[in-house]
Amino acid sequence: MAEAITSAPPLVRRRSIGDLLARDLRALPIVIGLIALWIFFAVQSDVFLTARNLSNLLVQSTVVGIMALGIMFVLLVKEIDLSVAAINGVTSVFMAKLIVEAGVTPWVAVPIAIALGAFIGSLSARWVTYVGVPSFVVTLGLGLALNGLQLILLPATARYSLNGTGLEQIALINIDGIWAWVVLAIGILSFAGLVFSEAASRTRAGLETPMMRAVVLPIAAATLFGAIVVAILSAHKGIPLIVLIFGILLGLGGYILKQTQFGLYLYAVGNNDEAARRSGIKVHRIKMAAFAIAGGVAALAGVIAASRTLGVGVFSGGGVGGGTLLLESIAAAVIGGVSLFGGRGSIHASLLGALVIGTVSNGLNLMGVENEIRLIVTGLLLVLAVSIDKLIEKATGQQSF
Amino acid sequence: MTDMSAGRERHVQASGAVPLISMRNIHKKFGSLHALRGASIDVHAGEVVALVGDNGAGKSTMVKVMAGVHMATSGDYEFEGKPVRITSPTDANALGIQTVYQDLALCSNLDAVQNLFLGRELTGSSLFGRRIQRAECEVKAREVLKRMRLGNLSLTRPVGAMSGGQRQNIAIARSILWTPKVVILDEPTAALSHSAAEQVGDLIRTLADQGLGIVVVSHDIHNFVVNATDRIEVMRLGANAASFRTGDVTGEQVVNAMVGGNEGVNLAG
Ligand SMILES: Nc1ncnc2c1ncn2[C@@H]1O[C@H](COP(=O)(O)OP(=O)(O)OP(=O)(O)O)[C@@H](O)[C@H]1O
Ligand SMILES: [Mg+2]
Repeated sequence: MAEAITSAPPLVRRRSIGDLLARDLRALPIVIGLIALWIFFAVQSDVFLTARNLSNLLVQSTVVGIMALGIMFVLLVKEIDLSVAAINGVTSVFMAKLIVEAGVTPWVAVPIAIALGAFIGSLSARWVTYVGVPSFVVTLGLGLALNGLQLILLPATARYSLNGTGLEQIALINIDGIWAWVVLAIGILSFAGLVFSEAASRTRAGLETPMMRAVVLPIAAATLFGAIVVAILSAHKGIPLIVLIFGILLGLGGYILKQTQFGLYLYAVGNNDEAARRSGIKVHRIKMAAFAIAGGVAALAGVIAASRTLGVGVFSGGGVGGGTLLLESIAAAVIGGVSLFGGRGSIHASLLGALVIGTVSNGLNLMGVENEIRLIVTGLLLVLAVSIDKLIEKATGQQSF
Repeated sequence: MTDMSAGRERHVQASGAVPLISMRNIHKKFGSLHALRGASIDVHAGEVVALVGDNGAGKSTMVKVMAGVHMATSGDYEFEGKPVRITSPTDANALGIQTVYQDLALCSNLDAVQNLFLGRELTGSSLFGRRIQRAECEVKAREVLKRMRLGNLSLTRPVGAMSGGQRQNIAIARSILWTPKVVILDEPTAALSHSAAEQVGDLIRTLADQGLGIVVVSHDIHNFVVNATDRIEVMRLGANAASFRTGDVTGEQVVNAMVGGNEGVNLAG
């Protein structure tokens, strides 16, 4: 055991490609895949890479992206919520009913919808943890029940129009001109502040900080990425409010997952709930919070969808059974790298996964290809993404985390 | 509960002084099953005690009583010479008794620091929940690992990507993070290769040299037990069958005592 006796401080070792691919660069294949898709569609259609189309693509991806972001919390704790689409639908219909029939202002109705979504989510968690029925079953049943409730809540016309109620503004507002850049600056400053505070606390504790890798690169990358996105959006109409909402959720979600105790516990519970329990973690509470977040976020996505379609109806929440909304939300999270077996996935998964699905839909649409083909391609991409992940796992001998 | 204000140094004594743990005439019944029938054990500071015996002899039950997982049906339990009543693992932890279970209870997707502190993170408050003070945790983790001579264990790799021996070491490090006085290990080498088992043996020795009392349940008599421990307590049918000083016996003698040959003499005196 000669090696263990050396007490020299651990070196910051050069890491192998396999190591990098298995961890820091886990998202690389999906990013490459996304770029490949973009090149393909750019070749097929001159319109694809225009600022206008790319803005649309981003807007079209937000509802699925936000849904995927929410469901990711549940997937992390090794559960699944098949009722998120139904929550999305029923809460938006309830909100519309409040606005249209009771004259409630959207400022109140929207928070009520989100709180209701979170409450419904926490109910399924209670059922799962206390009664012990698998979440798959609980949320499947709950989803159907909520579909029924949604139909009951709708008026005889089967639709509430939200035009002129103020709610449609959410989908109409764009932050343009100088303000778009101000928003970007605020975002980058918050991120840089976080990175610096982390580095400062390491230095204070007497730990070495790889300046380049831990501070300069992340901030530079975030700035570059943000600037490109804002430049493209500004060349069209500015930053759509709903894209900004998605961006804020990504930032907030990333902070919670990476920096907080709660975030860490999500990963711990998803990986080994017995170990978590023995460590004193209140596993049922962590799960309940995860389901509540998924429910609340699904309701928010429902509000945004209602605003985009200027109303709600049978179709809200993907229609009965959740339709493609449910499948695409789960698929987006999984394509982005969230494991269905718990304990693995980063916040950018929802963005990347939603962009892949959005790109396929948008690009094929531009090519005039039928909807049927879109479904086939999306389905194949899902299997392909997970397969590539598995292949990396085999090749590097490292389980993916 | 005993007086917790006493410093650790006090216990860095030669064996022969007041034992850290002294369990006498312990009985444990599971319904009609009499798992422990008057078993006894002493654990001294700075000493590695092996607890061996055939399957079902009662070893795990004995250490579970020691760790507060089970309560003895009858018998005396003294900690540092004072009678104590340990009714839960929390009680045992508070006295300074930590247990490393065979399944290790690690999260394979988390790194060493996260596993060491799981459930006991150092945190500060922030706008969106308690923020983990990673740097402080890392400093403390390094300190502990250095004391265990595991200074070059990676702190940032997920433990799932580590070898069985490294994982075992992390589980042990986790148990000594909060400076216990006694560490109990149930079959720490069962899933390990010969060399990894040797490393665990070295690690246990390092800890004992720092004044901890160590109890190891093991079936690996011929390699691990006769090489890495100071004293061997043999259990049979829920009671003590023999007690040896490790240097005085061969593996065969220990095995004979386990299965009930006629060598059940007490060489430890
Ligand atoms: N929780 C329990 N409930 C009922 N019986 C138990 C329980 N735990 C242990 N026993 C019984 O007590 C006896 C002693 O078991 P114990 O696990 O202590 O043996 P052991 O020496 O650790 O054996 P092994 O080497 O197989 O681990 C066995 O007959 C076992 O079946
Ligand atoms: Mg046992």
